[in-house]
Formats: sequence, structure tokens, C-alpha cells
Amino acid sequence: MNPKKIIIDPVTRVEGHGKVTVKLDENNKVKDAYLHVVEFRGFEKFIQGHPYWEVPIIVQRLCGICPVSHHLAAAKAIDQLVGVDPENLSITATKLRKLLHYGQVFQSHALHFFYLASPDLLFGIDAPAEKRNIVAVAANNRELAKKGILMRKFGQEIITTLSGKKIHGTLAVPGGVHKSFTSKQFEYFLDGKQIPSIDSMIAWSKEVIDFMKSYHFKNSEWVDNFVNYPSNHLGLVDKKTGALELYDGNIRSIDYEGNELLNIEDIEYRNHFKEAVEPWSYMKFPYMTKYGRENGWNRVGPLARLNTCSHITTPLAEIERQIFKAYTKNKPNNMTMYTHWARLIELLHCAESIKELLLDEDILGDDLVRKGTPRTKGIGVIEAPRGTLIHEYHIDDEGLITKCNLIVSTTFNNEAINRGVRTVSKDILNNQPEITETMLNQIEMAIRAYDPCLSCATHALGEMPLIVQLEDNQGNLIHEKIR
Amino acid sequence: MKKLDKTLIIGIGNNTRQDDGLGWCFLDSLEKEGINTENLVYKYQLLVEDADLISEYETIFFVDANKILLKEGFSIEQLYPSEKVNFSTHSVPPNQILNLCETIYLKKPKAYVVKIQGYNWDFEIGLTKQANINLKKSLKYFREINF
Repeated sequence: MNPKKIIIDPVTRVEGHGKVTVKLDENNKVKDAYLHVVEFRGFEKFIQGHPYWEVPIIVQRLCGICPVSHHLAAAKAIDQLVGVDPENLSITATKLRKLLHYGQVFQSHALHFFYLASPDLLFGIDAPAEKRNIVAVAANNRELAKKGILMRKFGQEIITTLSGKKIHGTLAVPGGVHKSFTSKQFEYFLDGKQIPSIDSMIAWSKEVIDFMKSYHFKNSEWVDNFVNYPSNHLGLVDKKTGALELYDGNIRSIDYEGNELLNIEDIEYRNHFKEAVEPWSYMKFPYMTKYGRENGWNRVGPLARLNTCSHITTPLAEIERQIFKAYTKNKPNNMTMYTHWARLIELLHCAESIKELLLDEDILGDDLVRKGTPRTKGIGVIEAPRGTLIHEYHIDDEGLITKCNLIVSTTFNNEAINRGVRTVSKDILNNQPEITETMLNQIEMAIRAYDPCLSCATHALGEMPLIVQLEDNQGNLIHEKIR
Repeated sequence: MKKLDKTLIIGIGNNTRQDDGLGWCFLDSLEKEGINTENLVYKYQLLVEDADLISEYETIFFVDANKILLKEGFSIEQLYPSEKVNFSTHSVPPNQILNLCETIYLKKPKAYVVKIQGYNWDFEIGLTKQANINLKKSLKYFREINF
């Protein structure tokens, strides 16, 4: 019998549009599997020729979910073009940017858990497709759905207050920010009169972590073994203490056992990373030059961040991190489904950090913009909700962009997602004549754990359906599942 | 300022894509006529959390540009909650927002969609001449039924 190929197209409940191909060998065993990303938009090219000060506003159009991350990564790079490094930004500007960033990560993590991941967790992998969505979650658990909406809304309100709009607003300007907070705005988020307060956000974040811990306890055999494979892990950490850092820090990578592979200043990334390309995807494959294409790839995002950091600075999230780490005896966690749990610990960390900043009078300050000696190159690195995000810009004497390089979180995760698809395909598709709904959903779950944003990764626009196709070794399509 | 009690008008679109800005232009006109801005909401697309927003109103108008030929250049139709799920976090159709509102908040606002025919969708600010005519016709009709 001829080898076969399975293709999943489109993948659902992720951002963008992707296709999975699974190739079978002569014995109907899975030989290989790929996630193809077939959108292309070319932001790096068409930003060229624009004045540098337009960049933080333009590039956030890459995405409707994490525009703030692109806004801030670009802003950090543009700061350097006007001669301002992160440590030279005013305290008020730094804290306001951080508050915006925590609001963004908070709403994005809430969105992923409640809207995208919870249907799988509440109804199980065997549930019919029509039940695995937010509408069914709402019908099944009204209070959970309401909290999900209000948590997302809280993060959006932080963003709106600081940047003027929920999506594609503006706070950062070259060398700082253009506005600060007011005491009236403090009250809006603290007193719980018009929207649930930040204390409610902290309490609800703890509730969903408890839900997740309970889920892991009840489903440990499946959760521990589903898409479990060794990888390196990469994330920003505090330059001095090694703590979890989302806005500015060193880039740190460890291997699957916890050995440190890299710990560098973020602006040095060019000396340590390369990007490979494959003919079947528009997404590139970043890797650490020293370790090569085969061994130098990393996971990024919540799981990787909890693996690479030494601790979390906010108390409640740190307690939860310790519980999380105890499960693997303080060794790195390579179990993909634990990404959801890690994401919720970060959700709590963001809520606590938002409260700290809301109570900090520095954000009422008026020292908003700094200036320095202009330069021709700027590199901004930030932890977006989905992982490490790099923006690099070069300008000419007139301040026009001549070169741009973007490495987004989902691109960093490209190899990891492909390995995950391969792992789960080998587990469930060997000797199977066709793709069932449950199989399809398991492949999707391996992808969805990373909360990939293919729109960002290819800088394309739109939603992400998934197609899975099964092909023989001659490339003939023998079965197809389309959602 | 004229305040529409318990009524929300949501303009959906993008005014940098020519006629896709019809929903927003509709709101701009109402604001010029003195409608309180609290009753007018500009959106690129609807999101799940808009179920929370509309739960506070008794009547909702969703105003959006339409690519398909409309006999009068516009139409106003009543909307009902739909259980069909066509979900992306980037956008949710109005009838699914109504369904979520009913499911989560146990509220059933009366809802209408105002469709206005557009023609061009390139990267440019400003409506085409024909879209502008359709906008004026839709506004005239909207005033007649509402005021």
C-alpha cells in the first residue's frame, strides 16, 4: 500500500489561517507532519520609506489581538533612534508603558482561556464540534462566561484609558509617552462602581487557576502525556534578578533539562539568532546560531517564560509558580498542555502588577519624554502574550526606514508547533484510514496550546480556519477534513 | 444634545477603506444632528464582549456597509439571535452577539441591521459618490422611523 498524507485545513480557534499535512509511509505509519502557513502580507517590506515616528502606529496593524505588543516593541526600538535606552526613559513613561502592557497581556490571556481553550477543557476532546465554542460555554456555565467577558473588558479598559482606543490606539511616542494617568482614572479601576475592580480581577484570576489545577489533577495522565516533547525554552528575564519580565530584560534560553544556553542583552539578538526558511511555509524558523537549525530552536510564551525565570515578583503569582514548578521538581516543564496553566499564572501576575501600578503615584507624573543623541539603528524586544517579540529598524539621514526585521512570538514557536503536530500525529494517526473529529481536534489542541497568531507571524489579516489532508507517499490526497 | 433613551447605534467599518467607512459616516451625521455621543459606538468589528455592551440597552442598530446590491441603496432589517457559531476572536456577527447577550445576560434587546451599499474598498479615506447618496437616503429613512 502506498504511503499517505493527511491535511488539516483550516485549523480552528487560533488567529490566522493554517493547514496541516500529515504524510504516512508504506505501512500507514506517520512519517512526517507540517503546519503550513500560507498567508503573506510583507509588513517588513512596505514599512520601508516611512518616517520612523510613524512606525509604532503603523506596525500595530499587524494584529487586532496584540497590537499593544507591536506598538511597544516598535516604541522601544524607536526610542533608541532618538538616543534613549530603556533605562533612560522617565519613570513615569516606563510605568505607564508597563501598565498598558500588563493590560494587554491580561486581556489577551483572558481571551485565550475563556474563548479559545475553555471549550476543550470543559467539554473534553470528544465533544462534538458544535459544542466546542464560547456560545456553548456560555450556555453551560453562565457565570464563567460572564467573568471571562468582564476580565477581557477590564484589560481593554486599561488599554483604552491609556491609548485612547481598545484597538490600535497610541500611548508611546519616541522617547516616552504622550499622556499620563489622572486620579479620577485611578478610581475607575479601583472602586468597582462602574466596572468590577482590580481586586475582583485578582480574585477571579485565582479562581481560574484553581479550576485549572483541579482539571490537571483529574486529567493528569492525559495532560502529562499529550504532546510531551523536549525543547529549549526562551524568554525575557530581569537583568539583575532573573525574575519573570514582560517589558524589558535579558534574553535567556535553557534546554529541556534546565541548562542555560543563552543569557544576553536583548539588543545583541542579531549576533545569536538566524532565521531558516522552508518551501512549504511563509513562516520562518528562528534558531540560536551557536546550536544550529536542528538543536537551536526554542519554545516561547507562558510555559517557556515560567521555565526560564527564577521567580515572579508579585506574591500570589509566585506562590502559584512554586506549586507549578513543584510538579516537575523544579525542572523545566516540557508538557505542552501545561502552557494553559502557565498562562493563567501570568494572568494573575498581570492583575497584581496592574494593581501595584494603579496605586503608584509615579504614573501621575509629568516627566513624559526624554531625548538623546540620534542613532540609525534601534532594536525593541518585549514579551508579547504569546512569547518573545523582536522589532528592529534602520533609518537613513532623513529618518526614513531603510530596513526592518520582525521576529514575532508565533514565528519563534514555529518549530515547536511543528514538532507538536508531529508528536500528536504519531500518537493518534498511525494505521488510521481517515481522520475523525476527535483526531482533528487533538491536532488542533497541540497547535492551540501555543495560542498562535498566524496573522502576526506572516503579518497577514484574517481568521484562522484549519484544513487537514492525508496524502500518500506520491503526494496523492486520500482524505481531507475541513472546518 | 438629543439622547436616545435605551438605544445604541453601532457603526461597524473602517474609514480608511473607502466605502467600508459607511457605518462610521452614518454615526458622524447623527452626531452632527445632535445625537448624544454616548448612544453612538464606532467599531472595526464586533467582539464577544459586545454582548455585555448591548445588554444595557433596549434597542440596538448595527450599521454596516454592504457589498451586495440593495434595491434602494440601503435596507433596514430586524435581527434575531442565532445559535449558529461562526466564531473568530477577530469578529463575531451581530446575530451571535445577540445570542450571547441572551444566553449570558438573559436580555433580549430589539435589534436591527442598517445595511448601506458600498462600491469601492481601497486604502483611501472618503466615500464614493454613489455610497454618499446611499448614506443620505438611509439617514433620511432612519430619521423618519426614529424621530
